[in-house]
Amino acid sequence: MEIVESTVHDEARQRAQEEALEALVDQYATTLYRVAFSVLRNQSDAEDAVQEAFLRVLRHRETLGEIRDHRVWLIRIVWNIVLDRKRRAKTRPETDDVAELARVLPASGLSAEQRAAAAQHHAHVMACVEKLPAREREVMMLSAFEELSSVEIAAVLDVTESSVRSRLFRARNLMAELLDHPRSVR
Amino acid sequence: MTFSTHNDPDRSAGLTDAEKTLRVIATLPAPEGIEERVKSGLHAAPRQGSVISWPPMAANGARWTQLAALRAAAAAAIVLVVAGGAWEVYAHIRVAPEPSAVATPQHLGGSGGLSTAGAVRKPQTLEGPVVAVPANVKPRSDEGNGAVLPKAHVARPAAEKNKTSPPNQR
Repeated sequence: MEIVESTVHDEARQRAQEEALEALVDQYATTLYRVAFSVLRNQSDAEDAVQEAFLRVLRHRETLGEIRDHRVWLIRIVWNIVLDRKRRAKTRPETDDVAELARVLPASGLSAEQRAAAAQHHAHVMACVEKLPAREREVMMLSAFEELSSVEIAAVLDVTESSVRSRLFRARNLMAELLDHPRSVR
Repeated sequence: MTFSTHNDPDRSAGLTDAEKTLRVIATLPAPEGIEERVKSGLHAAPRQGSVISWPPMAANGARWTQLAALRAAAAAAIVLVVAGGAWEVYAHIRVAPEPSAVATPQHLGGSGGLSTAGAVRKPQTLEGPVVAVPANVKPRSDEGNGAVLPKAHVARPAAEKNKTSPPNQR
């Protein structure tokens, strides 16, 4: 009788965990995708990274109840995944970025030529961002997400908030130099 | 927890060109139906890790007994293979017979047998002249009178002389 009760209890608990996980997917899949895309700059790769992040959550679903801030926790997971993938992947040529950005940029009121020019500009800026030192680059990329505060960026990167601010300051200065003189850094 | 830019003046003021681009990329819409695809991927994922999935059990008993017999046959085959392999290895190992005599290797010096170990140095000493006693000389009968027979005089090294005859006995 006890075995039957514990089995029913386990099934109920498992169902509750699955429902909680699905709720997390509904709530944060889009955010995680945008974080992943900002690093990988490829739609299918970013979607794969989101899938992998939720699979990791599924494997550790027993700990879901202990997490205080699910959003930061999930962003941290997907951030580590995309950095790992980017480290293993070869350097993306700028032309790939131009093509991908031209495809995904919103076409609101822009002609095809304007969209192509915008894509080219953004790809060039992203190529300069890639030249930044890793720590400054990471802070700068995460700071572009309006829904992430400095404290949350610090939590994602596992550093202090003051460190985030100083890195962002350095990143801005370096980017200004890079955009003025593209070969001045490194 | 949503954070807007007006709460953080550092981030809204003075956006650089790079930050504008990053913000454009960060606000790109996610592809349609990503949530459903992620959910279907989660449903397809294995819930628990398994090493080897055994063939599913059938509902009727006959099928189950067939599976049990198959399992037993497979286990027996594995045992036979392991035992056969072990016997094969055991049969090919031959223990060497114990030697009746132990051969010790000839010791050679470190320099290819030209070692000076064990050599005794003999000092070069001058051998004195040896006076041979004539063979036909016979001892006299008046030996008891105190006459001394001539002896073969052998010159000895001075050191030996000193050692054997203390000065007070001379």
